Amino acid sequence: MKSRVDDFKYNISETFELPKDIVLDLPKIIMIGDLELHISNHKGIIEYTQEALRINSNIGILKVEGTNLELKTILSEEIIVTGNIEKIEIIS
Amino acid sequence: MEIIKTWNYLRGYVIIKVEGLTLERFLNLAAAKDIYLWDIKRINHTLLEMKVSTKGFRALKEVVRKVGCRVEVLDKKGIPFLLYRLKNRKMLGFGVLIFFSIIIILSSFIWSIEIVGNETYSNEVIMELLADENIKSGIIKYNIDKNYIRSILLNELDCLSFVSVDIKGTRLIITIYEQDIPPEKLDINTPCHIVASKKGVITKAIVKNGKTMVRKGDVVKKGQILISGIIVDENTEDNILVHAEGEVLAKTRYFYRVDEPLMKVVEEETGEKMEIHEIKFGKKGIQFFKEDIPYEHYVKNTKEIKPFSGRFNLPFKLFVYEYMEVERKEVKQNIEFLKKSSYIKAIEELNKQIPREAEIQFKDVIYDVKNGILSTYVVVEVVEDIGQKQIINME
Repeated sequence: MKSRVDDFKYNISETFELPKDIVLDLPKIIMIGDLELHISNHKGIIEYTQEALRINSNIGILKVEGTNLELKTILSEEIIVTGNIEKIEIIS
Repeated sequence: MEIIKTWNYLRGYVIIKVEGLTLERFLNLAAAKDIYLWDIKRINHTLLEMKVSTKGFRALKEVVRKVGCRVEVLDKKGIPFLLYRLKNRKMLGFGVLIFFSIIIILSSFIWSIEIVGNETYSNEVIMELLADENIKSGIIKYNIDKNYIRSILLNELDCLSFVSVDIKGTRLIITIYEQDIPPEKLDINTPCHIVASKKGVITKAIVKNGKTMVRKGDVVKKGQILISGIIVDENTEDNILVHAEGEVLAKTRYFYRVDEPLMKVVEEETGEKMEIHEIKFGKKGIQFFKEDIPYEHYVKNTKEIKPFSGRFNLPFKLFVYEYMEVERKEVKQNIEFLKKSSYIKAIEELNKQIPREAEIQFKDVIYDVKNGILSTYVVVEVVEDIGQKQIINME
C-alpha cells in the first residue's frame, strides 16, 4: 500500500542516495548464514518460542521459523536472533 | 554489543528467570525503557531466562508490575559481587595492594649503571665522577636530570664527542663516543717557540709571529727551534717574548718493512669436526660428550649460545666448542704475488702514520730475498708541517 507520500519519499531517497530504511522507516534485516538474524527498526515482539518468532514492523509481521531460537539481544531498535533458522516470512 | 557485554561484566549482571503469561509484552516494555537484556532463552510456555545488568534489574521492577509476572534471580556475576565476597577477606585485598605498591616503588630506583663505549676512560673513573654528583645505584630515577649529567661528563672529561644518558627500566645507560685527543692549544698570550717535531729538510717557512731561524734547504733535527719566540726589540735591545706562529714545511721520510717467508705453512680444513657442549656456572663448567680429540692438528672455535637472543642475563652460560681438523701443508708462494701483497700492506701501514695534510713526493720500494724470506722495504718521502709549539721555559 504505497501512498503518494511514500512514493515521493522513495524517489527522493533514490535521487540523493539516502539510506532507504531511515527515510522510509523500514526494518533492516541482516542474515548471517543460518545462524544469526539481525532485525533493526522493529515495532515490537508478538510471539517468541523456541520454534517461532514473530516481530512487528512497518512492512508487516516478520515470522522467523527454526529450532533452538534464542534472543541474543533486545533493544528498542534492534533484535538479534540466534539458532537454527529455517524460514523467514513476511506477512503483510 | 560486545563492548557492552564486557562493560556489563565489570559492572555486574544477574541471570534471572521470568515466569508469566504475557512474556512478549514484558520484552517489548523492557526494550522500550532501554533496559538491555541479552541471552534470552525460552524454557517453556511461561518461562524465560535472561541476563540483565544490575542497574537494569532495578528498572525492571516497574515493568514487572505492569506485566504481572514473577521474577527470580538465579545467579549473580560480575566484579561488584566479587568485591562483596572479598569483604570477609580484607587481608587478601590489602596484600594485593601491598604487592603492587612494592613493585612500583622498587622499580622507581636505579639499580644498575652501565657505561657503554668507553675506551680511554675506565669504568671506575666515570663511576667516580658520577658518584661525586650523587648518581649511583639506589637513587630515585625520577629525580635525575639527564641534561645535567651530560653536561658534567662533557665538561670534566676531554675527548668526548657524544654523550647520551638513557634510563631504561631500572638501568642507567650512559653511551659515550670518544674522539681523538685534540692537540694542546696553548694560550695565545703564552710565549712559545715553534720547534721541529721530526728530522727533515726545510722546503718552506711561513712565519706569522716570531723570528725565523731556518731557511729553505736547511737540514733540521728533531727539537731544533724553527721559529723563535724571543725577539730583540730594535729600539731598546731588550728581549721580548712572543707567541710564535707559523707553518714550516719540510721534506721527511717514512719507511716501513714487511718480512714474509717464501714457504708458507697453510692449514686446510679437512671437514672433520667434533663438537663439545659446555655449561658454565660462573667459573665452573660441565662438559658434555668430552672425548680425547682424535685429530693430530686441529683448530678450536668457541661459540657462545645465548638463549632468548641474549635479552636476559642468565646465571649460566652455554658454550659450544668446535674442533675442526686441519692439514698442514707447505706451499711455495708465488714471488710476484708476494711482492705485490707485501707492498700493499706496507703502503697501508704508512698511510696510517703519515698525517693527512702531508703531500707525498716520492715512493720507492726495495725487495730483498735472503734465507727464504722476502723483505719489502718501502720508503715514502712527504712534505709536511713539522712545526710544534713549545713553551719557552723561564729559568
